[in-house]
Amino acid sequence: MLAIYKRELASYFRSPVGYVAMALFSFLSGFLFINQYGDGMVNISTEIMSLTSFFVVIIPVITMGLFAEDKKRGTEVIFYTNPISMFEVVLGKFFAAITLIAILFINVFIHMIITAFSGGVVNVGTWGSVIVYFCLAILFTSIGVFASSISDTQIVSAIICFVTILVIQLLKTVSTLASAGVTSLLSSSVFKLEPDAINRASNNVANAIAWFSPFTKTQDFRYGVFSISPLVFCLSMALLFLFLTYRILEKKRWSQK
Amino acid sequence: MIEITNLVKRYGDIKAVNGISFTVNDGEVLGFLGPNGAGKSTTMNIITGYLSSTSGSVKVNGHDILEEPDLAKKCIGYLPEMPPLYFDMTVLEYLNFICDLKKVPKNERKEQLASILSMVKIVDMADRLIGNLSKGYKQRVGIAQALVGNPDILILDEPTVGLDPNQILEIRKLIRKLAQKHTVILSSHILSEVQAVCDRVVIINKGKVAAIDTITDLSTKLSGSTKLSLSFKGPEKDVVNNLRSIPGVTNVVSVVSNADTSIHQVEITAQSDSKSDVRASVFYTMSKGGWPMLEFRSLDPTLEEIFLSITSA
Repeated sequence: MLAIYKRELASYFRSPVGYVAMALFSFLSGFLFINQYGDGMVNISTEIMSLTSFFVVIIPVITMGLFAEDKKRGTEVIFYTNPISMFEVVLGKFFAAITLIAILFINVFIHMIITAFSGGVVNVGTWGSVIVYFCLAILFTSIGVFASSISDTQIVSAIICFVTILVIQLLKTVSTLASAGVTSLLSSSVFKLEPDAINRASNNVANAIAWFSPFTKTQDFRYGVFSISPLVFCLSMALLFLFLTYRILEKKRWSQK
Repeated sequence: MIEITNLVKRYGDIKAVNGISFTVNDGEVLGFLGPNGAGKSTTMNIITGYLSSTSGSVKVNGHDILEEPDLAKKCIGYLPEMPPLYFDMTVLEYLNFICDLKKVPKNERKEQLASILSMVKIVDMADRLIGNLSKGYKQRVGIAQALVGNPDILILDEPTVGLDPNQILEIRKLIRKLAQKHTVILSSHILSEVQAVCDRVVIINKGKVAAIDTITDLSTKLSGSTKLSLSFKGPEKDVVNNLRSIPGVTNVVSVVSNADTSIHQVEITAQSDSKSDVRASVFYTMSKGGWPMLEFRSLDPTLEEIFLSITSA
């Protein structure tokens, strides 16, 4: 696993990907920081939470090549024909991507130090935001790893990853739309339902969809209110996607098509 | 040693490999021949664990590739058709990465890499980016990659494809050198290459083994007769009639006849199972008639002929 991890992390900095991601991230975080600094009131939590909404761009860039590139170049043979388990390969690549995200995050730590020294807010809520940031990063990276394994080209895997993260970000909107749809469907005269029942049904649909949003699950962390269930949710979802990636890669060996 | 028993790989309705069985002995160089799409690469991919078979088994040094994959894979160095190279790494970085994967101990690594680099002659290229190397050098790095970890068995899938004639000769020389210490399976559709390097050949066609034998045995088995070519100076009719009367000779055919210079060439077909060698009789017949022999050689069927007669049958 370590061999794959080292190679993959180094390869980010052999190609422009690592530098582009760093430049992009420095610009975004710097902008968000300076914006607040100008107002004379800096809350790092706000900066971190705003940054999580840029995962939709950054994560696909980081993860798109992980498996797609190996498939295109024919280097995946190395993983299948050497004494190494495919799950080690998946984990190695996943941790390399997470490490790059952590390296990018150094920017934010610098902002935290500046803030602390100039009398801004760095409190338990800030650390809560950091935890949320990495939970989301782990979840979305695992989605990116999975997207990279199901496609042969980087662009396609980037698009799959982008759309998936976008939908997750917009789950709140999606749930509102879905509940409106349910309401209009059940209101039709065919069902002859009480308005009360219709309301309850559409609320349940909205809640069920919104339940999956990791953003709403973790929204209290930034106020210093911690709970274990959002962490379990993010990590187990990440594990699920990594396991699916592993199965996709193993399937190739057994495929008879 | 590799034991392959009844290997089948099915792709939908097509059986890419259909019941292949053969054994590769230690220290042997086995040629793996077949037309495009015969199932060569599929078989090699199954032996190396890249693909899994639909049924049948592969045992590498006694380890089943599916049941003890790590032990089996440790014994094999594999060069696929397209060498699996990372173009953004230098040769040394790449080989170190392969060392990591094959779990070569840190203290042996330097020595092993040095000997591999000098063996495949890429010492000067060690610090160059793989993407900047020529095709021949990339192929060498591919072979170097297969040699890491000092595996007993080397599996080379069309190692000379796309190289220029000089590079082909160099790679063949290298393979012969490697054959001294390793068991080698070499796939190719270039027959002269197999003829030059291999002890034994497996010819496969349409997913089945068409023939397994040494090249010399294959040729006699197939033709059942030996062919001789003879050029001489003298009257063509007399000579041919005389030659026909030699016991064991089944046919004499005129190939080139030149009435002006009275130099002629004939092809003599003789039974190969006859105890007496007809070559001596031919010599005495010619000498008794006072007809000088200008050229006399035996025409062994080339691998091309063997190959064609097997795969078209």
